[in-house]
Amino acid sequence: MKKADVQKIIFDAIEMANNLREDNEQIPIAEATALYGNDGYLDSMGLVSFLTDIEESLQDSDIMVSLSDERAMSQTQSPFRDVQTLTSYIDTLINESK
Amino acid sequence: MTVKNILITGSSRGLGKEIAEHFLNNGCNVIGCSRSVGDIQHANYRHFQVDVASSDQVATLFFELRKEFKHLDAVINNAGVASMNAFALTPAKTFEKIFDVNVQGTFLFCQKSLGLLKKSPHPRIINMSTVAVPLQLEGESIYAASKSAVETLTKIIAKEYGYFGITCNAIGPSPVDTNLIRGVPKDKIAGMVKQQAIRRMATPADVINLVEFYLRPESSMISGQVIYLGGAS
Repeated sequence: MKKADVQKIIFDAIEMANNLREDNEQIPIAEATALYGNDGYLDSMGLVSFLTDIEESLQDSDIMVSLSDERAMSQTQSPFRDVQTLTSYIDTLINESK
Repeated sequence: MTVKNILITGSSRGLGKEIAEHFLNNGCNVIGCSRSVGDIQHANYRHFQVDVASSDQVATLFFELRKEFKHLDAVINNAGVASMNAFALTPAKTFEKIFDVNVQGTFLFCQKSLGLLKKSPHPRIINMSTVAVPLQLEGESIYAASKSAVETLTKIIAKEYGYFGITCNAIGPSPVDTNLIRGVPKDKIAGMVKQQAIRRMATPADVINLVEFYLRPESSMISGQVIYLGGAS
């Protein structure tokens, strides 16, 4: 799976999240969108739901990775902070799982 | 009961098998798992051989499950191990085994099932505790401590998963005549039963009654609860 495909999955997950959000709480579908942490659109359970949706979309492509592994939790800079960092993080996990 | 997809751990024998057979007889799809081969023969039963304490095996189980089932309505964390030992004589290996299966197994299934559960209209998690927790039974320190951990997990998961409409509750059976307590001396069992309000051993039907209560759509406001059979508290 290419990095652009990973980003597409993340954008789809944002769209799914937006379906459940009010008009004034919509998450911009963009690479620079802050997801979690300072100025992030997601609270902790919103992040859980979002990551679960992404994991399931990856599984639909026969890719089994856990986005909440120890490395993600121990990084000083969270890979969940914006779309770009999350895309890179998932791309790394996929390459490592090959 | 409308058709439900129910996952039961430890379904190859004892209480888990009884619960699995009950829901199969009521038209549900049951996914069972255990370390051993399952011997339930039913068109709506699917068995996975899994060590519930292995994060890799549990992750693979849910990966496979997602291909066959688009959602889960309930996860019943029934798999458990017990050991009667004076605390001072309990080997560290016994401690590890009990916590691996009872606590880590429950943790893994509660965590990995989230994606499939949140697609259900009435998602439920049911964990198994024991009356050994409130009765603080001598000789069961590690088993009771592991189930105390399960109870705390149950209450906190109830709060976090409430966001998704998932309820999480526990059942604390009084002694049920299954393999789990086969090694416990009869006088010990009698002593436990004596401490209950209802002084008899529980049957699988008593546990199933409570499982059904938690599964009812009307039970959507009941979460983070531990109900002990026999009135032990």
